[in-house]
Amino acid sequence: MAAPTATEYVRRFSLAERLAHWAAASAFLVMTATGLILYLPAFASLAADRVLWKSLHVGAAIGFWAGLVAVVAASPRGLARTASELDRFDDDDRAWLAWAVRRRGPEPPAGRFNAGQKLNAAVIAGLAVVFTVSGVLILLQESDAAFRGATSAILVHDWATWLAVPLVAGHVYLATLNASTRHSLRGMTLGTVRRDWARRHHPKWEAECE
Amino acid sequence: MSEQRLGRAAFLSVLGIGGLGLLAGNRISRALSTPLGAAGQVVPQGLKDVLPIGGWRIYAIAPPWPEFHPAKYRLEITGRVQRPISLRWDELMALPSARQTTDFHCVTGWTVGGVHWQGVRLQTLWDMVEPLPDARYANFVSLEQPYVDTLSLRQTTLPNVMLAHHMDDAPLTRAHGAPLRLVIPEMYGYKGVKWLTRIELVPNLVPGFWEQNGYDVDAWVGRSNGY
Repeated sequence: MAAPTATEYVRRFSLAERLAHWAAASAFLVMTATGLILYLPAFASLAADRVLWKSLHVGAAIGFWAGLVAVVAASPRGLARTASELDRFDDDDRAWLAWAVRRRGPEPPAGRFNAGQKLNAAVIAGLAVVFTVSGVLILLQESDAAFRGATSAILVHDWATWLAVPLVAGHVYLATLNASTRHSLRGMTLGTVRRDWARRHHPKWEAECE
Repeated sequence: MSEQRLGRAAFLSVLGIGGLGLLAGNRISRALSTPLGAAGQVVPQGLKDVLPIGGWRIYAIAPPWPEFHPAKYRLEITGRVQRPISLRWDELMALPSARQTTDFHCVTGWTVGGVHWQGVRLQTLWDMVEPLPDARYANFVSLEQPYVDTLSLRQTTLPNVMLAHHMDDAPLTRAHGAPLRLVIPEMYGYKGVKWLTRIELVPNLVPGFWEQNGYDVDAWVGRSNGY
């Protein structure tokens, strides 16, 4: 095999994958910002127009699901393959999780996604559902007192936020600031990554790339 | 090489924990509230005002929150009364005060249980100003303009209705409406005007701020706003 050159690129993410990612990312950004304004007393004193922030918050959620449905409808088989890829953890992936905790020895080889990325995707997908269900229940109990006290929707929405914000903050740190991993942002924006970077971080996948 | 579907296991675990939280979260949180409450004693007040510790969410309509200046502050009682008055802060604090422990319910669905309030009963003030026979409603006007809400005169003397100047054994904080707020535990919190500065007695009902936005005039907890 010839040594990879710095200018050689391989395709990591399809257009549908990137659109699904950025639909989730932009909606998360808008909902975190408007949610904190609605949630934190300190911001409540600065930005008092609750009706505006609430409609932006709910509008971003509707926009996210509408965008996701549209992308899945446009590329159902491709995204089903992606989901299946994220779902399956092989022996190297399980070894990777142990390595990520202990930080000893060489990094077990990863495919297109390493085990941390797979876990992150699964947890974020779960949280998206939890946010949506608890959010709809909050809307219902604001408009109809019969729903008040039936569930702990506000509490669950809060807990999900405390889990999701550090998770996404860590993800953004790895994609923008952390020197060895931030090249992955190119894959999520333009679709392609350098072959030598892919060989270092995702060797099993790089070996299969044309 | 064996493959395991850990992705969907993680996804379903998050859903399961979320579902359990929806069904039992408030009970779990209450069970933990005693140790957390003890830990809460060491949290500085500044942080408590910033984070919604203890379940409070602070709603305001016009930034920034009004500031309380003891020397400038007045509580005026005007309108259909024999003797309008304007009370200074020290005069207000010299009035007989009552204490109560009641739950606080917000119309958006959250509740803070067992809040300790200390303040002045409305009857004490009505004895001073002597409402005229045609005074049927009281408009409570906030320093945060244009927030105003209204009670019938009869509702103002229901048990547990007061103008609170202390909450949980400390002077009312700015976030909670310093120096004075209306407390009526049987109604949702939007009736409990914060940063109170004037009470007008009037013959006819004038809808308050949230009533003009579609909320019920009589905000009975569990019996209004769509219940």
